[in-house]
Amino acid sequence: MVTLKVNGKEISVADGTLILDAAKEAGFVIPTFCYQAELSSLGSCRMCIIEIGGQKKLQPACITPVLQDMEISTETEQVEDARASMLEFLLSNHALDCPVCDKAGECELQDMVHKHGPRKGRFAEMRETFHVKDYPLSPVIVKNSNRCVQCMRCVRVCKEVVGRGVLGTIGRGAHQEETSFLKGELDCDHCGMCIEVCPVGCFMRRPYRYKSRPWDLNSTKTVCQYCATGCITKIEERDGEVIRSIASKDTEGFNGRMLCSRGRFGHDFLNNEERLTTPLLRVNGTLEPVSWDKALDVIKDKLKKSQPDRVGAVASARLTNEELYMLQKVMREGVGSSNVDASSRWSAGDSEAFIAATAIDGAGLSIDNCMEADTIFVVGSHISDENPVTDYMVRYLSASRRKTVMVASVRPMKLDRSAQITARHMPGRLGAFLAGVTLKLYEENKTKLSGVKGVKSLDGLSIDKLSKASGVAPGDIEAIAKKLSSSQSVSIMAGTDMIRLGDGTGGLCLLSDILKTLDKRVFVLPLLDRSNQRGAWDMGAHPNFGPGYSELKGDTGLDCGAMLEKASKGEMDLLYVIGDDILAMYPDRAFAEGAIEKVGFLVVQDIFLSDTGKVADLVLPGASFVEKTGTVTNQEGRVQPIKPLRKPLGKAREDLNIIADIGSMISKNGSFTGDITAETVMEDIKKDVPMYGDVECDEQGCRGFLIGGVARRSLKCISVGEEDTTELKENKKYPYYLVTGNHLFGSGTLTGSSSMLRKLIKEPTIEMCIEEAKSSGLTDGDMVTVESDGGNGKYRLQTRKKSSSKVVFIAENFNEGSVNRLYKIGERVPRVSVNKGA
Amino acid sequence: MLTDKTLEEIERIKKKYPNTKSACMEALQAAQREKGHVTECDMRAVAEALDIEPVEVQEVGGFYTMYNVEKPKGRHHVQVCRNLSCSLLGAEHIILAIEQELGIKTGETTEDDRITLSTAECLGSCGTAPMMQINDEFHEDLTVDKVSDILKGLK
Ligand code: SF4
Ligand code: SF4
Ligand code: SF4
Ligand code: FES
Ligand code: FES
Repeated sequence: MVTLKVNGKEISVADGTLILDAAKEAGFVIPTFCYQAELSSLGSCRMCIIEIGGQKKLQPACITPVLQDMEISTETEQVEDARASMLEFLLSNHALDCPVCDKAGECELQDMVHKHGPRKGRFAEMRETFHVKDYPLSPVIVKNSNRCVQCMRCVRVCKEVVGRGVLGTIGRGAHQEETSFLKGELDCDHCGMCIEVCPVGCFMRRPYRYKSRPWDLNSTKTVCQYCATGCITKIEERDGEVIRSIASKDTEGFNGRMLCSRGRFGHDFLNNEERLTTPLLRVNGTLEPVSWDKALDVIKDKLKKSQPDRVGAVASARLTNEELYMLQKVMREGVGSSNVDASSRWSAGDSEAFIAATAIDGAGLSIDNCMEADTIFVVGSHISDENPVTDYMVRYLSASRRKTVMVASVRPMKLDRSAQITARHMPGRLGAFLAGVTLKLYEENKTKLSGVKGVKSLDGLSIDKLSKASGVAPGDIEAIAKKLSSSQSVSIMAGTDMIRLGDGTGGLCLLSDILKTLDKRVFVLPLLDRSNQRGAWDMGAHPNFGPGYSELKGDTGLDCGAMLEKASKGEMDLLYVIGDDILAMYPDRAFAEGAIEKVGFLVVQDIFLSDTGKVADLVLPGASFVEKTGTVTNQEGRVQPIKPLRKPLGKAREDLNIIADIGSMISKNGSFTGDITAETVMEDIKKDVPMYGDVECDEQGCRGFLIGGVARRSLKCISVGEEDTTELKENKKYPYYLVTGNHLFGSGTLTGSSSMLRKLIKEPTIEMCIEEAKSSGLTDGDMVTVESDGGNGKYRLQTRKKSSSKVVFIAENFNEGSVNRLYKIGERVPRVSVNKGA
Repeated sequence: MLTDKTLEEIERIKKKYPNTKSACMEALQAAQREKGHVTECDMRAVAEALDIEPVEVQEVGGFYTMYNVEKPKGRHHVQVCRNLSCSLLGAEHIILAIEQELGIKTGETTEDDRITLSTAECLGSCGTAPMMQINDEFHEDLTVDKVSDILKGLK
């Protein structure tokens, strides 16, 4: 600790603390431009200069660490003069066109000049002008360099946080311009981080251009719905139109200013004209508007005539905790069935194995804590596309904290560049690869590890065999084992590919047990792709367990796949689908279509008329996340509030109320009547789900991570022996392995309704290794036909470097050409052929 | 496009540095040797060879006056230093004299493509200021008369 004085006030701070942070702790804010906590230090703008007792020259507070007994003054005349001079200097070339600048009103330069600036400039020289007209850099970015203060935050954020590095500093001195290669169109993540960090109006949002002033906006601080990173964002509207989402200095989420392209530009779906605003009932084959009373009466009638085990519910893992809790309660206590699931994409067994392997039924764990470990090992996840902001955090924290990152994945990704070791394994063979790593560790520590449960199932396996089965070279398996074995602490981040492909959970369980036995601290963090996937499981929206992973009193229920199978035999009387589009998502479209058709009565509750909604018997208009109250739990186990910006559209209603109304109609003991709000339901949750006991929500937000110790570890890991370690077989007719997952610009069905994101992915694409494409006579941009045993589709080819040659990727969520038509029921990795021509 | 010979040279250069990004300056120099300047395609090719972003190559190319990024220049590229030492010793007069002699402004090229005139920041030869660089060579302790002779000698 170091003790020093700031403006006469004595404080003690840790060694190495920057003067800037020390002053802040003492309660004095020092103005800055080029400084930003997540970024490397630059110290170029000199806005933060302060006086240090005994030193004649002023010093930059953002790069100077404190020393014992320093006396720092941040508010003397000399400092104020210097600040004014720095601003005068910045303004000497500044365009000063605030009246037409989108940034005006929230511009750091404006605020700073207002507070510290000179009243008058003395520079008489010509201003440097980079260009006359603003120029577009991407479908979402427009640039005006005449306002630049050359802080290089844009360039640094793009490289150090986003990991793209497509912006550069061109030229020098007053001629220095931060822009793209030859000012051309950017082929990048379109995340808008450059816009967010720019203190002035250089990088601007195209969709927001000339639309509003910040003070005319109506806003709500809420949680992004596009993945389980759960970024805090402010959604803002003007005159009823949602016009931007922003994470700024004052939104105060764990994500700081970080959002990805989906989170920043994808929320225009809220304005989509096609939002549902009234209940629709199928009458003589067509869906016609009806009143709520009528709609609910029909459900009541149908439920009365249905057998409990012939009723099921499938909800999206984007609903709130309160809604999901209520849904499972209505199903279990009202209907009397455990047929409730929160995903149409994967099976209950696979999600249960994943929950066990990642200890989701234990306590929460923050990314920041994970990044304390020496080594970060990312497995089974395409994190750069599925959880973009988690990817940013891993990138910049591993660089600034000097951590080792290792990646094992099927496809190449942006995070590879930040990784010291990358392993590309074949799809569905993460388990075999992890078995290889555990085997290596076991061989080297036999005596110590012989007692570890399940280690015996490694007998009979060899590195050679596992290398062949997984497609990872023995050297890479060994290098990873070596790195793990030399680390004191390891964080394993495990993603949704493990559930999607039912692969690797056994290997992960054994690996973490082994590492623990070797006296290492082990953290396991799940990386999930739906905003409230973790909450959905916590709430018991799962056929195999109740709230808090409790054992069910009665029988376990059916998952979505089993419900569809039952339906296909004509044995489902009623299916209640909320926010999930089974036809677009269930991995075998043809089968799902046939099954859904045979459902006795299909109720779909959504904000858009989805493919499944189009064939429903009754459609109920629910509310989007800016039209409801509640909480969601992100992948870390962080409970965060969703707050409304406005009322549900037209006759649409909050989903919680709809679910509760259905409950009250069928419940015998009146348990769903009375005043049911998100708050009252949260009280019930706290009683029923012990790990939520500490969660406190109020006007400011929620405090509280999920707490461990109280939750029952009821779920068991599968054994590594159950992983697929057979040799891969060639298939002449269908040479490629097809994998799917989220796209950077699209996850689920909502992104398809965002016109901004639709500009970023115009058509369904298939990704293939560049060398493989070349040798098959294909080039980037070709139209190709993809065929499997299940079906076929047409896609635009995109070639990728460093891909495995036999693996191709089609994102999970294209509205046209949905990938699930290529799947056959039960098939996790379809084999496909790819041929030129449409 | 870069010739195979240049690309091979870049591969050799790459080996000298701990990471490929550090090889950027020398690789760009190799690229420039082909035709006296580097084009958009060349920068992309250098980036591809070094596995870095094209903009990173442009950053290097745009920072140092020794690289001629993009613009095809005259056969002789005259760069007059106009930084502190040179300015104190009359760089402005030198520039003016050249402009008058050639009938062009700074940044322009003579009609016969013989000479392109530009100015540069400190070229590291302050001791012999004022000075200028023509292609790869320094001309130091300039006077207006001396400059005139030098220009006449450029074919
Ligand atoms: S949008 Fe994102 S990836 Fe693209 S230039 Fe800006 S910061 Fe970089
Ligand atoms: S464009 Fe904005 S962020 Fe980039 S250097 Fe200029 S002022 Fe800073
Ligand atoms: S990382 Fe996830 S939660 Fe964060 S902005 Fe992107 S999609 Fe939204
Ligand atoms: S903020 Fe300290 S030098 Fe820019
Ligand atoms: S100022 Fe001209 S060479 Fe240094």
